[in-house]
Amino acid sequence: MNEQPLHDLDTLRARQPRFRGLESGHRACQGCGEALAARLTTEAAGPDVVVANATGCLEVFTTPWPQSAWRLPWIHSVFGNTAAVAAGMEAALKQQGRATQVLAFAGDGGTFDIGFQALSGMMERGHDVLFVCFDNEAYMNTGVQRSGSTPHAAMTTTSPPGELRMGKRHMKKDILSIIAAHHIPYAATASVAYPSDLRKKVRRAMDTEGASFLQIHSPCPLGWGHDGAKTIEVARLAVQTGLFPVIEMERGELIGTLPIREPRPVSDYLKLQNRFRHLFASEYRARKELEHLQAIANRNIERFELRGVGPETYDTEGADTVHRGGDRWA
Amino acid sequence: MIQIPPGAFARPGTSLEFKTGTWRAERPVHQRRAAPCHSACPAGEDAQAYLAKVEMGDMRGAWETVVAANPLPAITGRVCHHPCESACNRAHYDESITIHGVERFLGDEALRQGWSYPVPIPSADAPRMAVVGSGPAGLAAAYHLLRGGCRVTLIEAMPAAGGTVRTAIPHYRLPPDVLEQELDHMLALPGLDFRLRTQLGRDVSLEELRADHEAVFLGPGRRKGREGSADFAVPGNLRTGLQLLEAWVAGGTLPEQPRSVAIVGGGNTAVDLARVLRREGVEQVHLISHQRVPAPGVPADDAMRATYREVSQALEEGVTIHEHRGVRRLILRGERVVGMELVHMKKLEDADGRLRRVAFEGTETVLHVDQVIPAIGQDVDGSGFESLVRRGYMEVEPWWGTVDGQSGIFSGGDARSDHGTVSEAVGDGRRAAAAMLRYRAGKQLEPGAPPEPIPYSDLNLSYFETAPASKEPVLPPEQRLGLEEIEGGLQANAVRHEAHRCLSCGDCLACDNCWTLCPDQSVLKTREVAADGSHYVFDYDFCKGCGICAHECPTGYIRMIPE
Repeated sequence: MNEQPLHDLDTLRARQPRFRGLESGHRACQGCGEALAARLTTEAAGPDVVVANATGCLEVFTTPWPQSAWRLPWIHSVFGNTAAVAAGMEAALKQQGRATQVLAFAGDGGTFDIGFQALSGMMERGHDVLFVCFDNEAYMNTGVQRSGSTPHAAMTTTSPPGELRMGKRHMKKDILSIIAAHHIPYAATASVAYPSDLRKKVRRAMDTEGASFLQIHSPCPLGWGHDGAKTIEVARLAVQTGLFPVIEMERGELIGTLPIREPRPVSDYLKLQNRFRHLFASEYRARKELEHLQAIANRNIERFELRGVGPETYDTEGADTVHRGGDRWA
Repeated sequence: MIQIPPGAFARPGTSLEFKTGTWRAERPVHQRRAAPCHSACPAGEDAQAYLAKVEMGDMRGAWETVVAANPLPAITGRVCHHPCESACNRAHYDESITIHGVERFLGDEALRQGWSYPVPIPSADAPRMAVVGSGPAGLAAAYHLLRGGCRVTLIEAMPAAGGTVRTAIPHYRLPPDVLEQELDHMLALPGLDFRLRTQLGRDVSLEELRADHEAVFLGPGRRKGREGSADFAVPGNLRTGLQLLEAWVAGGTLPEQPRSVAIVGGGNTAVDLARVLRREGVEQVHLISHQRVPAPGVPADDAMRATYREVSQALEEGVTIHEHRGVRRLILRGERVVGMELVHMKKLEDADGRLRRVAFEGTETVLHVDQVIPAIGQDVDGSGFESLVRRGYMEVEPWWGTVDGQSGIFSGGDARSDHGTVSEAVGDGRRAAAAMLRYRAGKQLEPGAPPEPIPYSDLNLSYFETAPASKEPVLPPEQRLGLEEIEGGLQANAVRHEAHRCLSCGDCLACDNCWTLCPDQSVLKTREVAADGSHYVFDYDFCKGCGICAHECPTGYIRMIPE
């Protein structure tokens, strides 16, 4: 056991060389990808922001009354109207002539499904808001119900595998094409497995005038059924297999990707998660759905031209390289 | 002003009142584990530790880390067969770190800059220890006794220090100026009473040494040509390989100039002599060995005792090696050797499961040579301590070097039957010195072993990038005619490149991964080095024990232990 008599932890905590937007003591599960994503997002966005947060895990685990884990102005909207609340705050701050930036936080339910019309309106009116979707691919807060973002064939409590279906029957909603159709100045996807890339995209979105959108792939150990210690590994494999493309768009046009150096088979990603366990049964339907998911990954790689042409500094292998002394590229 | 009712807001950061650490079933701890290079080093050097210092730009600190184990890095950086590099985890990833190049650079840099050894000046009443023999084992023992605060009497029978390192290592491997400088540097340490031309049994007896000192280390090496153990009768006028090699190293010439020579033996002496003879213009040099050429994959008991690097350079230089071959008899014309009869041999398990050499009938061949040189090994010259030598060797406890049945007498180096390299000798001297200090303090000697290395599978390689190893310049075979050093060493930039490639197995890289990836803000970064040697502190009040930090630690430095 390592005792640390040299350090007074309260002082040390106060002296951390980064902005602590999301403080310890929040009630997220062990290994929560969303908590990590929110921590990385707020430390890159900096203190001069206000946040509107939709109903969901993030709202629940950060603010059990009378406590709050946030160290920035934060307001809980209802499930469906985060983008509208954020748009209102942005208009008010603009009216007051203040430079404070507005963020909107929502899960995939609050983005793909319930909050979608407010988001669409906000983008259409061009509010200077960064909308961050913490994508954990189901309604986790209420007990893992399938959402528009749940991937095809995944098991949730409302898409159980059985005689008739192999998990979710439908496809994961192509939210990027819908966002692209709004022709906003900046939209991107990121993953908690690539924190430098994530922080760079937050800063870039904050510098963009007008509406911007960031979708962060955030594994949920409880809902996906994987070991909490493997959150980063699972997230990394989602990117390396091509199942979660990491890209950037301006005005709906693809302008950049995180190239995949050597695509991994989707089974490497799927087999770590209970929600895909039924795909590894020895039956035809399972083999077929496994190949189906591989085909989806292949199509992503094709569509976004994700395959790298050779080793690059900032590809799926190089972008998370560490160095002595902690200097990361963003 | 609008008043917000108290039920509608909370103060920032108040979640700190709630200690999520109570949820934890396992806690992460920092646990330094030995890197494979460290476990594999016969001298006990921690290469990972000094590579880290090199990467931080602290060359002097790196050298001090080297000499915490081995006082002679300029020498070992050149002559050691670097088992550290064979063990290096990076070999599984792309290529091993060129550790010997870094060691050599640091040794040379210390000599160039005149860095002084981190050794205290002994007090007037410091305990006195005796060391016999100033080869690498004796020097290492003396050095570590000085480090331990003792005064040391070091006696050497020859007129100069160094033992086998001076007498039997060719200059193309170890230039004499490097040898002299490093020996002089070490022998100038305060508290060392160094007496040349002082032979045990002639000038001083073991009993006298024992009476005047707290403990005695014997590092006699192996200098007596072995008699009667060759496959063939050795004519009286034949010189042994070691004698010829020593004559050449000392004088640069050989007494005879034959056209073709066969050397019988597969050790470093045999191989060195073969290369010397090629340099002296001998057209055909044959090596006759019971074993095979050492190479990766060849089992140790079937490989020649010479190191892989030496054997492959000898092959490059045109030496012919006859593997699995024994000598039946010499073919003489009058008194003169004109050839030898060879036979294929192999070691096989007999009915009792013991390895036995078998010669295969009908495989005899004749090799015509002008000269035959036996180089089948040497025995300990036990002058002055005859009763301690058994079957030509010193029998010692393998870790501490305690001589069987003797109190306060320790030994190591080539005098052991199982050791025959400079770095093994340095390690023997180092551990024996530690044993002598414990012996004096009346402490028990617990059985020792090298630290268990961290396996490759315990690293997280997602966080590294491939990078080719820096290679030192090597003289092409056709230019290796004289005494010029064959390997050119690494330049400063290449040394830093190698340090940067080090995976830091089992030790904190200060890479910020745990700090960056903790979802609970429970890894706190420190400006100064924390109590456990890392740059991070776990806040167990809030750590939920998810294990992300341990799983994503690139170097395997964080472990989860049950609460």
